[in-house]
Amino acid sequence: MTTPLDMIKKKRAEAINRILGKGYLSTKRVYVGMATCEIAAGSKDVMAVFENAIKNEGLTDVYLSQKGCAGRCNLEPTVEVVEEGKIPVKYGKVTREMARQIIDQHLKKGEVIKEWIIH
Amino acid sequence: MPRRYVITLCDGPTCIHKRSKELEAAIETELTRHELTGRVSVNLSGCLGMCAQGPVMAINPQYTVYGNVTADDIPEIVSSHILKKKPVARLAIDEDHLYNRFFRVFGDINFFGKQMRIVLRNCGIIDPENIDDYLSVRGYEALAKVLTDMKPADVIAQVKTSGLRGRGGAGFPTGIKWELAARQKTDEKFLICNADEGDPGAFMDRSTIEGDPHTVLEGMIIGAYAVGASKGFVYIRAEYPLAIKRLEKAIADARRECFLGKNILGSDFSFDIEIRLGAGAFVCGEETALIHSIEGHRGMPRPRPPYPSVQGLFDKPTLINNVETWANIPVIILDGAEWFSSIGTEKSKGTKVFALAGKIKNTGLIEVPMGVTLRSIIYDIGGGIPNNKKFKALQTGGPSGGCLSEDYLDTKIDYESLAAAGSIMGSGGMIVMDEDSCMVNIARFFLEFTQNESCGKCTPCREGTKRMLEILTRITEGKGQEGDIERLERLGNLIKKASLCGLGQSAPNPVLSTIKNFRSEYEEHIKQKKCRAGACTALTGYEITDKCVGCTACRKVCPVGAITGNPKSRHFIDQGKCVKCGLCFDTCKFSAIKKG
Amino acid sequence: MESKTITITIDGKTYQTQEGLTIMQAADQLGFHIPRLCYHPKLSIEGACRVCIVEVEGVRTYVASCAYPVMDGMKIRTNTQEIRRARRDIVELILDNHPQDCHTCERDSNCELQRLAASMGIRKRHFEGERKKYEKDLTSTSVIRDPNKCILCGRCVRICSEVQKVTALGHAHRGFQTVVMPAYNMPFRDSVCTTCGQCINVCPTAAFVEKVYTQDLFAKLNDPSIIKVAQVAPSVRAAIGEAFGLEPGRAMEREIAAALRRLGFDYVFDTQFSADLTIMEEASEFLERFQGKGKLPMITSCSSAWMKCVEQFHPDLLENVSTCKSPMSMMGALVRTYFADKIKKDPKEILSVAVMCCTAKKYEASRPELMVNGLPAIDMVVTTREIAWMFKSAGIDLLHIKGEDFDEPLGLSSGAGAIFGATGGVMEAAIRTAYELYTGETLMDIELESLRGLAGIKEGKVTIDGKEIRVAVAHGLGNAATVLDMVRKDPDRFHFVEIMGCPGGCIGGGGQPYAGINSMPLDEECLKKRAEALYGIDRRKTIRRSHENPDVQRLYKDFLGRPLSAKSHQLLHTHYKVKEPRGIIPQELKVR
Repeated sequence: MTTPLDMIKKKRAEAINRILGKGYLSTKRVYVGMATCEIAAGSKDVMAVFENAIKNEGLTDVYLSQKGCAGRCNLEPTVEVVEEGKIPVKYGKVTREMARQIIDQHLKKGEVIKEWIIH
Repeated sequence: MPRRYVITLCDGPTCIHKRSKELEAAIETELTRHELTGRVSVNLSGCLGMCAQGPVMAINPQYTVYGNVTADDIPEIVSSHILKKKPVARLAIDEDHLYNRFFRVFGDINFFGKQMRIVLRNCGIIDPENIDDYLSVRGYEALAKVLTDMKPADVIAQVKTSGLRGRGGAGFPTGIKWELAARQKTDEKFLICNADEGDPGAFMDRSTIEGDPHTVLEGMIIGAYAVGASKGFVYIRAEYPLAIKRLEKAIADARRECFLGKNILGSDFSFDIEIRLGAGAFVCGEETALIHSIEGHRGMPRPRPPYPSVQGLFDKPTLINNVETWANIPVIILDGAEWFSSIGTEKSKGTKVFALAGKIKNTGLIEVPMGVTLRSIIYDIGGGIPNNKKFKALQTGGPSGGCLSEDYLDTKIDYESLAAAGSIMGSGGMIVMDEDSCMVNIARFFLEFTQNESCGKCTPCREGTKRMLEILTRITEGKGQEGDIERLERLGNLIKKASLCGLGQSAPNPVLSTIKNFRSEYEEHIKQKKCRAGACTALTGYEITDKCVGCTACRKVCPVGAITGNPKSRHFIDQGKCVKCGLCFDTCKFSAIKKG
Repeated sequence: MESKTITITIDGKTYQTQEGLTIMQAADQLGFHIPRLCYHPKLSIEGACRVCIVEVEGVRTYVASCAYPVMDGMKIRTNTQEIRRARRDIVELILDNHPQDCHTCERDSNCELQRLAASMGIRKRHFEGERKKYEKDLTSTSVIRDPNKCILCGRCVRICSEVQKVTALGHAHRGFQTVVMPAYNMPFRDSVCTTCGQCINVCPTAAFVEKVYTQDLFAKLNDPSIIKVAQVAPSVRAAIGEAFGLEPGRAMEREIAAALRRLGFDYVFDTQFSADLTIMEEASEFLERFQGKGKLPMITSCSSAWMKCVEQFHPDLLENVSTCKSPMSMMGALVRTYFADKIKKDPKEILSVAVMCCTAKKYEASRPELMVNGLPAIDMVVTTREIAWMFKSAGIDLLHIKGEDFDEPLGLSSGAGAIFGATGGVMEAAIRTAYELYTGETLMDIELESLRGLAGIKEGKVTIDGKEIRVAVAHGLGNAATVLDMVRKDPDRFHFVEIMGCPGGCIGGGGQPYAGINSMPLDEECLKKRAEALYGIDRRKTIRRSHENPDVQRLYKDFLGRPLSAKSHQLLHTHYKVKEPRGIIPQELKVR
């Protein structure tokens, strides 16, 4: 008989497969904070900049996702860039212009913009 | 050249007991030997929640957590990990452990290092709108475990052993509440998640639901299984549209995946959840008022007993817990009650989420183990007071809580210690105030809130808080009278003891605690008609001192033309014209304007 | 379930009591009267005023004794210095937000708050400040709402929703602005209020009072150009003594007749006469319906609050309601016609006044469909309370006055007319007459015990000529709603249903004297004694069946012809229409 535990293991495996199927293993993953507070601080605009860039500029190796509030209220909106094997970078108080620059500099050229990182 | 590393050493009681202090010394020695002191910083953190493997240390970046470390291991760790970038595999703790993920993900050690995230373990990590993300981090595994190997009584026993207490404010032991609800024999039982977060400045529940809605649902489903409830409600305020949207999606996804509805995960157990929107009345956070609101009545509390666990929604036994309490449940089931109860203090187990706000550098949402001191929260996590101002008071528990002075900064976070200090744990608001805050004015602010939000049912709360507010208002307007402090105390103690519900019983706390801790400020307001913080407009005056160089800046900004003076000579303020807006004070570059 | 005997300590002494009681109930039984205000034994526990707080050892706060259950070993303190001061301060807080106009208040010397404050010994004020300021709502024909006097005990809200199930009142706004009002703060006139006046009965202060016509009446009584006619409802005589300090239960019909003449009325008629007439018409109507002409069950229509209630909330059952006017309106119609002819006066020159136990009758008198030849059937309705005050104000000594008879031709009544005032009385009276009308035989066993008493809903059966007639009696609009649901569920369950709008029937009407110092409003013992006074009148009468009333017989012979004649229909019957429940869906949503 299949127990609930067996079922959940199967479900998790399927879920992980689906996530991987969406390009999770891309070399770069970008997370934009999208809680109410972040949205109020402007994260929807930031998200739009990333979405457009991925769509229009052929950033095929970037996986974009949203996430909830991590708690850094005074530094919102936050954007996190995770590159496999590297230190994840979290940018604070990101504006549309900064998002643009993160795309050009970090995502395209691999240069971390040090002065914007949350320490 | 090695990159910059941060070593975080667990300073929790278990690790100290396991001689973590020796590690600190050994690390210092090794770093000095390799001339790394400037490049590697060493932090002490509160309990990291891995006591069984203590002493524990984490190295960031690279998010490695080492357990069972002895002083003898330190040279190897430093030479291998720091110098050669090669983590020491034999000491590294299972990467998959839930609670080191924050170091892994954020590397933001100053802010997150002293935190411990149980409730918020997935917040800011997963996509809240994607159930796959939740499943990938062991989501709903606790539910599956409960349905596979645990009887309802076992679940309740686990919750009791964990020592979890209600996170809504009062701190009632959760397991006992569940047991009481489970014991009732009726045809139908209900379950409620109280997400009616009403404290000004508090957003713990909103962030939890927005960041990880499934955790809350999973906790509720487990609770329903334990007490035998067939139907659950999330009562959430309509002002949280995003949280509602995510919750709706989460419920729909959970139904689709067979975590809600009939025969959950193929078992005999059926349960479903609906959302009910509140209209934003503060009192609806009180459980009986909330129940009335769900029933379609005006949200007004009723006397207890009977408690909702015995007679609640639609007169049926009803288990009601708040968001944060529910979010703890899956972790307790997965990682065990013993582990959970190893965190925190003797009577308060686990962690507490706080919304840190006010005059503090890092405002934010934090989760710390019980037992951390207020000082540590303010200075280590919060980064201290900005603009070189002096700390004055910490307000915890929102409008129901109290203001604590500097003397209480070493108070440990737990229900009893905070209560003993004259405040409450509350649902988790934490507001830091600096020397510019007037304590009388702050008390007035909070009381105005509770007076406006009083449901108006019981006399002490409805009439008493109004009279207190009138007295406070006249004090801040310079019309305070001899005996006003005593009148406030008399009313405050009456309201505290005689009110019907928790709102009234805690409404005087901001006043009584500020009288207790800052009585001299009240006396100054009443007797000397003086507000030292300069916050009470009626009591504040501005004066130009002989430091004035005659730059004319103040004269130019004064909106009512109250300042006169020739360039390069001392200016003067016409007190009759001055409206005390403070623009001159803010404008003066020479500190030549005195406030007070 | 058998309740367990437990031991509690009150103020240092140990007592035995029963598990399941509240502290207040246990204390009451043991001779401790804990002060109270919002508590009412007929209503749910509010726990709002906090006057009944006591200390319980081991409990952090004071507890409201009305709500808190006794437990074995509980140690209760009701009278410490601390609790006395707390209670005193609470009552002061109420007073601080209450108009300080006791001398000019309608409830002066009849006010529960006043008595409470006196017992607290509040001699000094500590916390005075802003006071609430609202406009009085004078729009209703019957009930004046004065939120300034309201202390938010919630009794009115509870009686309106729990006992009457009308829910015309609710709390609105928060904090200091909290106020009891009809939905959307609509004028009371436009709300769903049925004008039953139970809010007045239970209000401890003067936040609800009846619309008073005493000064108007005094003015008219001094006008020599008009004929002043009064009628007196049965229940008035059963209760008016209480307003003069008598124990409940003293019937004062002849004293009232005499007193009304002293007050200046030219003719004093008895509503019991028109009650007999109502029975003639209603029993005949029932028999017609019973024989297939019209809908069953037939539901009575004497109670004005009930009529507004049925039009608003139960329009689906309007056809079941008897077309008979109430006894008051029948009397009004006869005064304008039969009596005016008799004394050869223009009906316009007659002032027709009804002395009623009821506030809703003020509303009924204003209904346009009850007008007679373009004139209102009744010019003015005054309640028992109002007439008692008028007697006192005019120096009429009701207690020692020598009784007099009511006037002919509308003053003679049977015992059946008297019992109209108690719940079940109309049914009992109707059966006495219907039996004889149908069978031609006299019903001998006329005291129908199963229809008497204060049970919320009473059911009974009578066999008339071998046919079983099933009847039901409900008092209070809440019980009425329950009976109507029974009817909807099973339309054949009953043939005849009596409904009275107020608890206990008219004896518990919204215009009856305020409760005395030793009892609560609507106290059951008091209602029983008032009912007993009416049953006593019935027993003492030689004529106990309406159709035996010789003046009624003469009225039919000389004027109406027979029951349900064309003339009867024109004067004594009416039709009720569906009323839009304007209180629920306001035409113009206006939040004030």
